[in-house]
Amino acid sequence: MKKKYLIAIIILLIGSGLTLATYFATHIYQRDSVALITDYQIKDTFVQRDKDVYGNIDQTRRQTLHLTILSGPQRGKKYVTSNVYYPSQLVSQKYRPRQRIFVDIKKNQPAIVNPKRDWVLVVVLTLTLALMVAVTGKKAIPLICSLILSWVIFYGVILADVKLNGTSMFLLFASANIIFSFVSLAIVQGVNQKMLVTWVATLLGVFISFGICYAVMKLTGETEMRYETGDYATQDPRGIFMAQALLGILGAVMDEATDIVSSLHELVKTTPDITPLTLMKSGRAMGQEIMGPLINVLVLIFISGALPETILYLRDNNTLAAAFGFTLSLGATQSVIAAIGIVLTVIFATGCSLWFLRVRKQGDLV
Amino acid sequence: MSTLTALIVVLAILMTIVGGEAGIRSFFSVLINTLLLILVALLISWGINIELLILIFIPLKLVTIIFLGTHNGRVAKNSFVAALIVSVTVSVLILVVQYFAQAAGLGPEAGEVLVGLSQMPGLSYPMIAVAVAMFSSLGAIAEAAVAMSSGLLALKRAQPDISAAALKHSGNRIGTDVIGTALNTILFGMFGSFLSLFLWYFRLNYSIGQVLNEKLFVNEALIIMYSLIGVLLTVPLTTVLLVEGITKTEVKNEK
Repeated sequence: MKKKYLIAIIILLIGSGLTLATYFATHIYQRDSVALITDYQIKDTFVQRDKDVYGNIDQTRRQTLHLTILSGPQRGKKYVTSNVYYPSQLVSQKYRPRQRIFVDIKKNQPAIVNPKRDWVLVVVLTLTLALMVAVTGKKAIPLICSLILSWVIFYGVILADVKLNGTSMFLLFASANIIFSFVSLAIVQGVNQKMLVTWVATLLGVFISFGICYAVMKLTGETEMRYETGDYATQDPRGIFMAQALLGILGAVMDEATDIVSSLHELVKTTPDITPLTLMKSGRAMGQEIMGPLINVLVLIFISGALPETILYLRDNNTLAAAFGFTLSLGATQSVIAAIGIVLTVIFATGCSLWFLRVRKQGDLV
Repeated sequence: MSTLTALIVVLAILMTIVGGEAGIRSFFSVLINTLLLILVALLISWGINIELLILIFIPLKLVTIIFLGTHNGRVAKNSFVAALIVSVTVSVLILVVQYFAQAAGLGPEAGEVLVGLSQMPGLSYPMIAVAVAMFSSLGAIAEAAVAMSSGLLALKRAQPDISAAALKHSGNRIGTDVIGTALNTILFGMFGSFLSLFLWYFRLNYSIGQVLNEKLFVNEALIIMYSLIGVLLTVPLTTVLLVEGITKTEVKNEK
């Protein structure tokens, strides 16, 4: 059996161990106590049938839960509590027998906070990592490093933003883009000519397309840009939108630039008599193949995320136009900005690759 | 003209200039894809069975992404078969994981959004969460399938007498590139989509433990991983399907 499959299996085994450890972990949580629902069959009673002003029909149901506290000062104590839920589970939660949950105990009364979901993340993460090693072998190491690094930088940027209290957000996220793309490309490719060309193409792609979009927004007076509909806004929603657009564009542009520059670099190396025109044609052909699917990836991510809310607005008898304005228009704008970035990057990546020809003439091509 | 319309016009012009005819087709592929997603939302809100909608719309969306986005018939056919098999596999995974994660609906953070809206819409939000996860991962799966198929077929065209084993070997190399390409796109797409949520967690002093058990965070993190798993499965499957397909046609030609 190949070594990479062996390593994948080892990751699966370690991951299963960690999953169990997380599932049973109770003492790592300080803020809320972990409790176990001891019922094998939860008493679930029908309270009433509801019909709201929009004509939606739902139910109110009550679960009676017997809890044993597993951590915190009340450890070992038993409580009986009830949980009211609506079967559509939009904001309420139905609990299951023998489930582990978080409770907040105040004045000897437990209030249910959340189901314990941490272990599910560990299971799926294990599966992802094992698959990555099984499919890519040794190459999994830089991929995983770059994944971890992205999260670390993202975390750092958020810390910085909170510290700056939301001021100069654009500057912060612009510099984050510059640093991140450099470090990430350096990890995957090493610092060399090809990587530097990719980096320059990425930065041009991100900033010029963002500049064009910003100009269009200004020229149209940001009409129907309903920043206030952005969810979970804790600071200036317009700043958040700009930062999200900058961040959302970066990954796709960087990946696309890597693709095009790598292939053209290969082409310059293997075809001694290639002319600038053929090089540009190849770059354009690659771009034509790549841009459609890549834009679709981002559109699906940006728009799908807003669907639960869109459905709710539509369900409550809003017109399609109103629902779109409230829930989808920001995501759609973000998608179009990203798409413009992806299209322009074809030009920048190809243009920057022309530099390889000049370097080759001087005999410095690596 | 509203800003969104103006930006869409700019995009259409750029895609036509850079992509030519292929660019125009890609533009319509993206447009139809978006409209289909909105149609799904509309149909779900009318109370039409969500499972049925998923079954209809997964193949339909793959067709729009793959057949409209690529102009080589063979690439498209091979990509479609691979993407469909992977989508079904990932969908099964999503069904199982979402059952245990119980991360459907809107979190307590969404309180402000919900003012004036029904909290009892009479729709199954756990099933809606499954649908959202499936649709989010579709794009990445389709992209990987197209990139793999076109990469391998280009290689076959350049070296017509390449052996099946050598083709599979190159498949590994191309596959790594394809995975690398998808990785940042997915991750930063999600960061860009949920920056405000992360800022919310920080400003309201959530502990790491709380965030890791919080409905919306868990849901987002899971969607990133479903997409990655989809891409990782697509790479070897597309290679195998394509190599088998090529060998079969060769045998036919010899007879």
